[in-house]
Amino acid sequence: MPGVSSGGGGGGVGTAVSSPPRPFRPSRYVPVSAATTFLVGSTSLFFCFTCPWLSDSVSSIVPIYIAVIFIFTLANFCMATFMDPGIFPRAEEDEDKEDDFRAPLYKTVEIKAIQVRMKWCSTCRFYRPPRCSHCSVCDNCVEDFDHHCPWVNNCIGRRNYRYFFLFLLSLTTHIIDVFSFGLVYVLNHRQQLDTPHAAVTMAVMCVAGLFFVPVAGLTGFHIVLVARGRTTNEQVTGKFRGGVNPFNKGCLKNISHILCRAQAPRYTGRPYMHQKMEVQPPFLRPCLTEAQLEAKILDNGIQNDQHSTRQFKSGLVLSDTAGCLFEQFSKSSLDQMESQSADAEAPPPPKPDLRYSGLPPADTEESSLLTEAPPTPSMFKYRPPYSSPGRNHSALSHSNKMIRGESLDSPCPSILKSSRQPSYRSEPSSLDGVTLVGGGVGVRRGGGERGEGSGGPGGAAGGVLGGVSGHSLAGRSYTSYPSSLVLSAAGSRSSSLRSAQIAHNPLATLQSEGTTDTSYKSLANQTPRNGSLSYDSLLTPSESPEFESAAHELSPQKPPGPFPSSAKAGQPKVVSPSSPLKGYTSPFLSAQIAQQREGQLLQGSATFSSPHRAYLRAVSPPPPTSPRPPEAQHLIQYGQDLSSRALRNTSSLSSSPGARLLEPPISPPPRGLSLSKSTAYTGETGSQYKLRPTGGGTMVVGGEVGGGHHAPQ
Amino acid sequence: VPQTHSLQDLRQQAAVAAKVFIQRDYTNGTLCQFQTKFPSELETRIDKQQFEETVRTLNNLYAEAEKLGSQSYIEGCLACLTAYTIFLCMETHYEKVLKKIAKYIQEQNDKVYAPRGLLLTDPIERGLRVVSFPMFRTSRAGRRNAT
Repeated sequence: MPGVSSGGGGGGVGTAVSSPPRPFRPSRYVPVSAATTFLVGSTSLFFCFTCPWLSDSVSSIVPIYIAVIFIFTLANFCMATFMDPGIFPRAEEDEDKEDDFRAPLYKTVEIKAIQVRMKWCSTCRFYRPPRCSHCSVCDNCVEDFDHHCPWVNNCIGRRNYRYFFLFLLSLTTHIIDVFSFGLVYVLNHRQQLDTPHAAVTMAVMCVAGLFFVPVAGLTGFHIVLVARGRTTNEQVTGKFRGGVNPFNKGCLKNISHILCRAQAPRYTGRPYMHQKMEVQPPFLRPCLTEAQLEAKILDNGIQNDQHSTRQFKSGLVLSDTAGCLFEQFSKSSLDQMESQSADAEAPPPPKPDLRYSGLPPADTEESSLLTEAPPTPSMFKYRPPYSSPGRNHSALSHSNKMIRGESLDSPCPSILKSSRQPSYRSEPSSLDGVTLVGGGVGVRRGGGERGEGSGGPGGAAGGVLGGVSGHSLAGRSYTSYPSSLVLSAAGSRSSSLRSAQIAHNPLATLQSEGTTDTSYKSLANQTPRNGSLSYDSLLTPSESPEFESAAHELSPQKPPGPFPSSAKAGQPKVVSPSSPLKGYTSPFLSAQIAQQREGQLLQGSATFSSPHRAYLRAVSPPPPTSPRPPEAQHLIQYGQDLSSRALRNTSSLSSSPGARLLEPPISPPPRGLSLSKSTAYTGETGSQYKLRPTGGGTMVVGGEVGGGHHAPQ
Repeated sequence: VPQTHSLQDLRQQAAVAAKVFIQRDYTNGTLCQFQTKFPSELETRIDKQQFEETVRTLNNLYAEAEKLGSQSYIEGCLACLTAYTIFLCMETHYEKVLKKIAKYIQEQNDKVYAPRGLLLTDPIERGLRVVSFPMFRTSRAGRRNAT
């Protein structure tokens, strides 16, 4: 339907985007069934066996009173169970584009003079509003998330917390009533305890007494929470333990806020009202003042505006520099590579130059990259066309493949793959990003030299450098190594390890991503490099997603791969490793691009020995070294992390980008080698892992990069 | 001059060039308020005052929806007394205000934003997290043919 509708995202959509259908899990229904059975069953028995005597002997009001309380309990129970807790619909893709690679994992917002962090939800694709949390059981972000209650089999959030709280209160009251009146009955029938009525009453009393302790405890707990204006989630995670709760309005106001607030609307399942708007040019324009006109003249255009208005924090300077540097390198290296890598196919037209020429600011570059459709076959040709799990595989095999220059495989699959990792924004990825930076730096410095790379990483505290610098640096460091993990920290790690090795073509690593496994395996004449390559290939997986994502962004074509939707969806977030860089607000995209280019260059250079070497040395001029060390450090650590991950795990982390990166990174032939090497490193670095996804340069490398992504859930 | 709706007209609808997102303003907690900061992308399209006035009106409407007043209190009591069955027949106060907001947005679009190549979308569609403002491409060749 061509009409323009005001409905968000796309005309014709009937309801807001909601979570995908979940598999039926009967085990989820056991607690709620048990709760229902006990509640209804016990009360029914009580009514049948005890109440007749009570109404006769005590008063007829008693059963009525108990019935009223019971109905109230049941009503609140049903509301708590069936009511939408305040689920946020998934953000549509257009919203993603605002937060691209450079977007940080956390956004800080000030609420009543208190800094509150909003975390990026990789599943739902938006920054979680304050007090919102993602429920892993329901796989939804819930507003004012309290907890997921198994007894009602539902999340408790903004919309149904009141009913849950009243349910607890009424249930406690009901239990007390049943127990006391049952006791009255039993005390009055001490001589007839063998009758069924008495027996049933005693059984009901037992059930009531049994449930009283936990229910009353929970009720008391929630009374305290309501009085304090906290949610269970905040209490349990200790968010405001030492500090002030900005949501605390005072005891009375908190209580009235919970009990008397208007029923919040649901966000999912709303009927869209499609506004039939006739929106046609020519459009009216406001009268611009002198100042505005002046600003407009200086302005680059809306696209650049959009990019320039993005947060571009501390990493900007460095990234710019890095970006420029990379542009130079990538251009030259690509040229060289292309000329050299004409193994099987004609060299692709050198497109990168078009893209990268004269784009000093990273954001401009990014914007131009994003807005242009640069058909750079050379870059994509090295994209590994693998499925998501195979991504890492291909990454591993890149280097060889790239070297051979035969991987003209469509970058699409790989790009798609990488783009299919929406969880790039998860913490681990952010961490990854940082490490990448560090690693890259370190490696580069040690590029070609032994072990110097390892020295670099130490200083790689420069999360600030962001993806761009980090990646670019990483790429460079990899120049010394044929591994394609320029992008990934793993690469840095390997690079440091490989410092002993001859610096072949770091670009090869980048390229390796694009290569297929087969080509990788088939490379026979790469033995010495293979060893390093394999090592690098382990590291590569982490980079490949970034690589691919960057390529995806750059590629004009929409690869009609098997994952068009995922690619599209993941596109803005494609680069998972960059997400950590986001924490440092680095122009990740430019970094990625730089890396890619470097990778390609490296690969091309890998085919030669001495001339390549010379080239490499020339290529890797020492950029500002100050930021390097931290980057190298990070990269190396990241690389280590990645390698360890790759070794350990394979498929577990589907949702997190970090995991993806680390997925099956090991390609067949050198696997043995790389594995052993990586394991060695894993042991070293394993203890260092401390993921700190907070923004700023204080990335502590070494956390569970891959595994961290689970944490958000 | 916009023509009546016809298939050809619809096909000639301008395409979206960009989208601007107005984020929530959380300085007062989780109360639903949107940022009144004028995004730079709209500078060429609309007056700052107009935009701010729209957002402010929206904020006021949302504040009215969430107000802890007699309306919400009575509604809550009634709901309790009827074991929440009243929700089956009655519309909550918030929903009523949401309808009002939708009407306001429609009216603003008709009068102010569509002629300028913008469209204000109802934030409820995105969970009240963000107001999206698609900006339509203005570079269509020539004028629409009157059909």
